[in-house]
Amino acid sequence: MAPSPCAICKTNRALILRPKDHSKLCKPCFISVFETEIHHTITTNKLFHRGEQIAIGASGGKDSTVLASVLKTLNERYDYGVDLILLSIDEGIKGYRDDSLETVKRNAQQYDMPLTILGYDELYGWTMDQVVEQVGKKGNCTYCGVFRRQALDRGAARLGVKHVVTGHNADDVAETVLMNLLRGDLPRLSRTTSIITSTPSAVSTDPNSHTNIKRSKPLKYAYEKEIVLYAHHKSLDYFSTECIYSPEAFRGSARALIKNLERVRPSAILDVVRSGEDMAKLVPGSDEGCGGVCASAVPAAEEEEGGCGSSNGRTAGGEMATMEQQLAQNEVAAENGLEVEIKSSTLSAPSRKGKKPKGVAPSPRKAPKQVMGQCKRCGYLSSQDVCKACVLLEGLNKNRPKHSIQVDDYAQENTTSGVHSVTNGLKKTHIEVD
Amino acid sequence: MPGKHVGAVAEQPCRRCRDNPSVLVVRTEPLCRDCFLKYVHTKVIKRMESFRVRFSDTDQQRRILLPISFGVSSVTLLSILDQHLRTQAAKTRRTGFSLQVLFVDSSSVEDPPLDDHLLAKVQEQYPDHQYASLPLHDVFRLVDKDTALLTLVPDFRTKKDISAPEQLSSLINSLTSATARADVISSLKTRLVVEHAKSSGCEGVLWGDSTTNLAQKTLSETAKGRGFSLPWQVAEGESPYGITFNYPLRDVLKKELVSFVELSEPSLSPLVHEPSLGATQASMSSKNTTIDDLMKQYFESVEENFPSIVSNVVRTSSKLAPAPGSRSDPHCSLCHMPVVGGRFGIHGWGGDQEDGLETPIIEGAEGLCYGCTRSIPRTATTSNETS
Repeated sequence: MAPSPCAICKTNRALILRPKDHSKLCKPCFISVFETEIHHTITTNKLFHRGEQIAIGASGGKDSTVLASVLKTLNERYDYGVDLILLSIDEGIKGYRDDSLETVKRNAQQYDMPLTILGYDELYGWTMDQVVEQVGKKGNCTYCGVFRRQALDRGAARLGVKHVVTGHNADDVAETVLMNLLRGDLPRLSRTTSIITSTPSAVSTDPNSHTNIKRSKPLKYAYEKEIVLYAHHKSLDYFSTECIYSPEAFRGSARALIKNLERVRPSAILDVVRSGEDMAKLVPGSDEGCGGVCASAVPAAEEEEGGCGSSNGRTAGGEMATMEQQLAQNEVAAENGLEVEIKSSTLSAPSRKGKKPKGVAPSPRKAPKQVMGQCKRCGYLSSQDVCKACVLLEGLNKNRPKHSIQVDDYAQENTTSGVHSVTNGLKKTHIEVD
Repeated sequence: MPGKHVGAVAEQPCRRCRDNPSVLVVRTEPLCRDCFLKYVHTKVIKRMESFRVRFSDTDQQRRILLPISFGVSSVTLLSILDQHLRTQAAKTRRTGFSLQVLFVDSSSVEDPPLDDHLLAKVQEQYPDHQYASLPLHDVFRLVDKDTALLTLVPDFRTKKDISAPEQLSSLINSLTSATARADVISSLKTRLVVEHAKSSGCEGVLWGDSTTNLAQKTLSETAKGRGFSLPWQVAEGESPYGITFNYPLRDVLKKELVSFVELSEPSLSPLVHEPSLGATQASMSSKNTTIDDLMKQYFESVEENFPSIVSNVVRTSSKLAPAPGSRSDPHCSLCHMPVVGGRFGIHGWGGDQEDGLETPIIEGAEGLCYGCTRSIPRTATTSNETS
């Protein structure tokens, strides 16, 4: 590379090709522009307020380490007046977390922030290794993701902290946008694109409730590559590892697409994020609930930002095949449904009136309008009666006799969405019309 | 190869007629040639319900425009509609509509040059329709009231007298990436098709997009920052151009169209211009790869094993609803999509993290949407483009 001067200060030699726009910058200018942009994100979105205590979801990985470092720097530089602490979750994966938690412990000292580590076993009675032993390697990302989503909120509630920040970056958000398009999940697409996901609809009167936690992602517009560069040039102490369990196919597929897009047009990551924000406004029924458009009742994990941040698979695994099968069955069911309709109308329509026959063969279920409420068992924010984590836990506990867990066994209706969804597609669209 | 051909299915009889041996498997159903052709035909005609004979006035023929690119999709669409119209005429002695076929010649700015006999061949095979061929630069002639489009041509103000072909090449040559060129060319094509449809009295346009194509479009428009425009990109009905859009092939997969072309009698292959039927070749370098190419390759691979996921993407993006009141929003000067509140350009949102760069909201003004600004950054004035 020919020695060219930095595009900003025009004096130093440019050493960094900025991933986001390919501008050539020197090291100090890159550091400063990176920090300034995060500051800009924080101020224009009014993420923090003075006196607020903020828990940084810290994994020891690059994103959360950079987040902690940048927030400390900015808090001092611009005097946000916020109180930063580190909160780590130990999933209980041997060899995966041990080292990264050591990193977090060092970070706590380096940044002079108090650190709390909470284990899945403390929160749920299961470590991930135990879960994998039980359910196998397939689909365990769902457990991990669902548990993790709640874990930070539960942890924050224990500490009496109302705001959790996570290290989700622009690549993660873009990936989630594409992934949710591929899975046909507009409500989730809409929910995950916003920078703050507070839950006012489920505000609990209990001040210590873990449904009343604000979440934000200050690195939402920061490129993963720039985060790595920042960590490198600031010589940050972070731990790079990949989750040893299998990645989910949709996320892997979306991730591969994002990487290719970035190669073709560097701004593409940001452009996908922008598209996601715009599309969120076009989802009927706006960002909370789907207002009756989520006709594809394909069950998906109830996680928000995706199960595993580190999954990088390129293989289209079982997850896609499963969904393909369900969709195909839906199509068949839809066609059969049509046939049935024609028959009944030609055959003098016996059970027409009433419009809601009780218990006719393919159980006419009411459309599951996604309205955010609280889980009956743990009180966590959920679109179902019982939140995903409690459903998963129930399944796990059933197969582990003589192990008392404080989750009550209601044994009542448990959402067997898989079976229903097959015949549902058509039914639902009918009901939503009225 | 498209579809799963013979071999494994050879012994199985067709699941529909139960007579003939099956020649391919369509969404888990082994079908014979005739049943397969019928299957595709039915899927298309089902989409044409609103153009049935009984809905047409006896004294006024409804006209619809069918843009043809000589790809697998548009040739198939023409062939099916031609047959459909002939059946209508035979049954009722009139037809529900008449077709105007338009070929947009973009050879001056796009690579693979067409075999110039293709149009004549198609015309000979399907003689009952009106045909036209227009060069892409005609868009500047047809939209002359819309000077906003012309301002995109570099040095437009100083060189008022340059010809339309020069304007086109000057615009395209000013773009710095393959993605931008492909994007601008495709926007111009759409504009030209629409303008021609309007000027020739057509009530709507029948686009040849397959399911696979619409899924690809969903993701590539998303990737190009045009997520806001998706409600108008894949859904049928009134378009922002003031004319209706229909996608009769939207329930048919690309690979099924490829099989249709091969299995038709006589084969449609001689009418199709496609460097290699089906599979888009992996492109040479990332410099020449476009976002559209990338998504095309992606969905062609997904449709092999997961066809329902492809159609689910289309179903999903079709659910996006235009923002209320969006029809009165100002339009982008290039792609003509309504831009909410006239917030043109790439600045003034969360991802634009520069302080002090206010959104240039120009009153009642013209401008480029986010996506078009990415392709033609020059007009965004202050953007500090490097390289």
